Amino acid sequence: MTILRVENLTMRFGGLVAVKDLSLSVEEGEILGMIGPNGAGKTTAFNMISGYYKPTEGQVFFQGQNITGLRPDQVCNRGLTRTFQVVKPFSHLTVLENVMVGAYAHTNKNQVARDKAREVLDFLGMGDKTELLAGGLPIALRKRLEIAKALATEPKMLLLDEAMAGLRPRETDEVIELVRKVSKQGVALLLVEHVMRVIMSLADRIVVIHHGEKIAEGEPQAVVRDKTVIDAYLGEAQVDA
Amino acid sequence: MNFIMSIIDFFYMPLEIFSQTIVNGLLTGSIYSLVAIGLTLIYGVMIILNFAHGEFLMLGMYISFFSFTLLGLDPYLALPISAILIFALGALIQNVLVSQVLDSHPLNQIILLLGVSMLLIGLAQFFWTAEPKAIHVSYETEVFKLGILRFSIPRTVAFFSAMIISFSLFLFLQYTKTGAAIRAVSQSRAGAVLMGINVKYIYMLTFGLGTAVTAVAGALLTPNYRMIPTVGAPYAVTAFVVVVLGTMGNFIGAFIGGLIIGLVEAFAGFYFGGDVKIVASMFVFILILLFKPAGLFGGKTGI
Amino acid sequence: MKTTTNSQTKGKSQGGSLWQSIFMDWDRVQLVISFALLALLALSPLVVKSPYYMSIIILTTLYIFTGISWNIIAGFSGQLLIAHISFLAFGAYTTFVLYITYGITPWVGIFVGGVVAALLGLGMAFVTLRYGLKMDYFALFSIALMVALKALFLKWKFVGSTIGLTISLGEPGFSKMIFDTKEPYLYIALGLTVIGIMVQYRLYHSKMGKYFLAIREDEDAAAALGVNTSLYNTLALVIGGAMAGVGGGFYAMYVTHIEPPQVFDLGFNVEIMMAAPIIGGLGSLAGPVLGGVVNKPFAEFVRGFVAGGNPAVLPIVYGLFLISVILFLPRGLTGVVHDLYLKVRRRYTSNKA
Repeated sequence: MTILRVENLTMRFGGLVAVKDLSLSVEEGEILGMIGPNGAGKTTAFNMISGYYKPTEGQVFFQGQNITGLRPDQVCNRGLTRTFQVVKPFSHLTVLENVMVGAYAHTNKNQVARDKAREVLDFLGMGDKTELLAGGLPIALRKRLEIAKALATEPKMLLLDEAMAGLRPRETDEVIELVRKVSKQGVALLLVEHVMRVIMSLADRIVVIHHGEKIAEGEPQAVVRDKTVIDAYLGEAQVDA
Repeated sequence: MNFIMSIIDFFYMPLEIFSQTIVNGLLTGSIYSLVAIGLTLIYGVMIILNFAHGEFLMLGMYISFFSFTLLGLDPYLALPISAILIFALGALIQNVLVSQVLDSHPLNQIILLLGVSMLLIGLAQFFWTAEPKAIHVSYETEVFKLGILRFSIPRTVAFFSAMIISFSLFLFLQYTKTGAAIRAVSQSRAGAVLMGINVKYIYMLTFGLGTAVTAVAGALLTPNYRMIPTVGAPYAVTAFVVVVLGTMGNFIGAFIGGLIIGLVEAFAGFYFGGDVKIVASMFVFILILLFKPAGLFGGKTGI
Repeated sequence: MKTTTNSQTKGKSQGGSLWQSIFMDWDRVQLVISFALLALLALSPLVVKSPYYMSIIILTTLYIFTGISWNIIAGFSGQLLIAHISFLAFGAYTTFVLYITYGITPWVGIFVGGVVAALLGLGMAFVTLRYGLKMDYFALFSIALMVALKALFLKWKFVGSTIGLTISLGEPGFSKMIFDTKEPYLYIALGLTVIGIMVQYRLYHSKMGKYFLAIREDEDAAAALGVNTSLYNTLALVIGGAMAGVGGGFYAMYVTHIEPPQVFDLGFNVEIMMAAPIIGGLGSLAGPVLGGVVNKPFAEFVRGFVAGGNPAVLPIVYGLFLISVILFLPRGLTGVVHDLYLKVRRRYTSNKA
C-alpha cells in the first residue's frame, strides 16, 4: 500500500526552479532514502510535502488523500511528521515538555501526554534526561530529541531531514539503530541523508535528486553504481557502502 | 449627481491653495525625512527599533536653544554643535547600553530603549524644566514669495539644509570606505566580520550618525518653536510611519517617505483640520502595515 | 526576555509528603510565593491606615493582575505585543458606559468589558494573521492601533470625547461597586488577582499553555508537531485581552474617571502592563507577582520621597531602573529566586542522601 505519493512536484522561486517535476512514492513500512548533492532541492521537497511551501505545481497524496497545500500542522495531524535539518528544540522547555508538545497531538489530557512522552523518551534511550533543559543538550541528544518530538505525534510516516548530520560515527550508529527500531514499529520513513553509510544500511530504496530533479531511483546497490549518480556526486559524498 | 458634486466640492482646492499645500507639505516633510533617515539607518544596520529616537531630536533642539542664548549663535550656524554632541552621546549610549542587548529578545531591546527615552526626558526636565522654551530670530516670520507661493524663510532654510544633509549622508554611504562598511554590515553581519570589518565600531558609528541626523532635524526646527522635554515624541511616531512606508532599513525610502507623509499631513490638515494630522499619519500607517508592510521598496533594505 | 520554566527543577517526589511534593516542584513553589505575597497584601489593612498607602497597595494588586494578562500574551505565546493597554481601555470604557448610560452594575460590567476587550483581541489577531504582521511589525501595529483608537475616542461623543467619562462618588453602594473606604477595592483587586494567578497556573500546565510556549520557542517546529499556530496565537490574544479588559473595568471603577490621553498612553502601558512581568521575569509564573510588588511601590517611593516634589526625578530613576533590570536581571527577579531555590534544593537533597 502506497502511503505517500508525490506527483510532478515543482517549486519555482521567481526565476529559480528549486525542484522540477519530482515524483516518488513510499510504501507503508518502507524506508525511502533521498540523496543528492547540497542544494539539490531535498529540503525544498520536504518543505513542500510537509506544508511549509506551497508547490508551484504538482500534488502530494498521503494515505490516498490530497494534502497539497495544507498547513504544516494539518499535515502532521494526518499522520505525516517531519523533523528539521537544523534541529529546532524548544530551548527553554525541558526534554519531557518538548516531547509532550508532540504527544498533545492526540490527547488533551496532561497525564496522557506526559506518559506518552516518557514512553517515547524511554524508547529512544533518553528516559533519564527528561528534566534537562533542551537548550543545554549536546548536539547528539538534540538530534535524538528531534526524533522523539516527532515520534510522540504517533505518525504513520516520518520525514527525517539529515538526522545524522554533525554526529560522530558512534552516535550515528546509535541513531541508525533507533531508526531501525522506529521502522520496525511500522512507521514509514523518508530519509534525507548525506552520510552514505546511513542510507546504505537503512534504505529499502533510494531516490537521487540533482538540481531539483530526480536522476535515479532504485535499490541502493544499483543506484550507487549508476553512472549519472556518480557523475553528480563527483567530488562530493564518499561512497563507502 | 448632487452627491458627486458635493464630494468634488469638498475636495476641490483652488490652484493657489493646492500648490501652497504642496509647498508646506514638502517643507515639513523634509524634516520627517531627516528624522526617518536616522531611524532607518539604525534599523537597517542593527535591526533595532530605536524607541528613544524622538529624544535625540529634542536634545538637538535644546542644544540649538542654548547655543543661541548662551553663545549668541544663529541656530543654523550652530547645527554642527548639535550634530557633534549628539553623535557622541549616541555612540556612547550604543557602546554602553544598546550593544548589550543586540542579540537579545526584541522586547529587551524595546524596554531598554524605552528606559533610555524616559531617562533622557527626565534629565531634560530636571535641568531645563518643563516650561516651554523658544528662541526668536529676526527673520523667523519673514516670507519669501515666489509668484503666488509663500515660503517661510526658516522652514525653507530648514528644507534646503535637510536636503543637503540627506544628500551628503547618501554620498557618504555610497562612496566612502566607511559608508561601504556600514552598508556591508546592514546586509550581512557575518559577511562583514569575515571581511575584517570591525562591526562593533560600525554599530557605534551608525547609532551616532542616526541620532546625530535626528538631532540636526530638531535643531532645524528651533526658530520660533516652543520646545518642551517631550517634544520629540510625535516626530518619533511619524518617523516610524515613514520608515515602515519607505521600507524598514531603506535610506531612499525614508527620504521619499518623509516627503510623502509631509504631503499627506498637509492635505489632511487642509481638509479635516489641524488636529487630525496624527490621525492621518496613523491611518496611512495602518494601511501600509496591512497592505504593504514591506513598504514602497518591497523589502529591499538598501542603505 | 530569557524565561524561567520548571527547568531542571522537577525533582522526583519522594514519598507522600505534601511539603515535599510542593517543594520539589518549582512551579508549585512559585505558586506558594505568589500567594504568600498576596496574603501580605491582603493583610495590609491591619497595619496600613493611610488612604495614600492603601491606594498604592490596591494599584499594586491590580497591576499584578494586568501584568499576568500581558505575561500570557508576551511571556507565554511570545507575541511582541507592546500596546496591550488598548484592551484595558476597552474594558474601562465598556464598564463605564454600561454603568453610566444603562445603569448596569459594574459587577457585570467589568466582565462585559472583558468580553469586549476579547473581541478587540480577536480583531487584532485576525488582522495581523491575515496580513502576516509578525514581530516588529506586530509591535508597531499595536502601537499604531493604540494611537488610532486614542484619536477615535477623543472625537467620539458617546464616550465623552476629550472630557472622558466620570462617575460620581456620591452614593456608595455595593451593587454599584462604589465604596467610601479603600478596603473593599483591595479585596476586589485581590479576588481578581487570585483568579488570575490560578488561570495563569492552570494555563501553563495545560495543552494550550504548552502550545503557547512551543510557539514562542519556535513556531515552525510547533507547526510540525501539529500546533495550529494561528489559532493559538489568537487564543492568547483573546485570553490576555479579556483579562486586561476586566482589569480595566475595575481600574475605571476605582479611579472614577477615564479619558483617552490617560488610558491610551504608552507610559501608562509600560507601568501597568509591562513593568511587572519584565522586572519579575517574563514568561514565568511568579514574574508578574514578584515584579508587581516591586514595581509600583518603588515608583511611588521615588515619586513621594526621592523626588522631593520634582516631577523630573521619577522618569530619571525609573528609566535607570528599567535599564538596569534589562542589563542585569535578564531573567527577572524570578530568575534570581530560581537560582537560589536550586541551590537550596540541591543542599536539601544531598543532605537526605
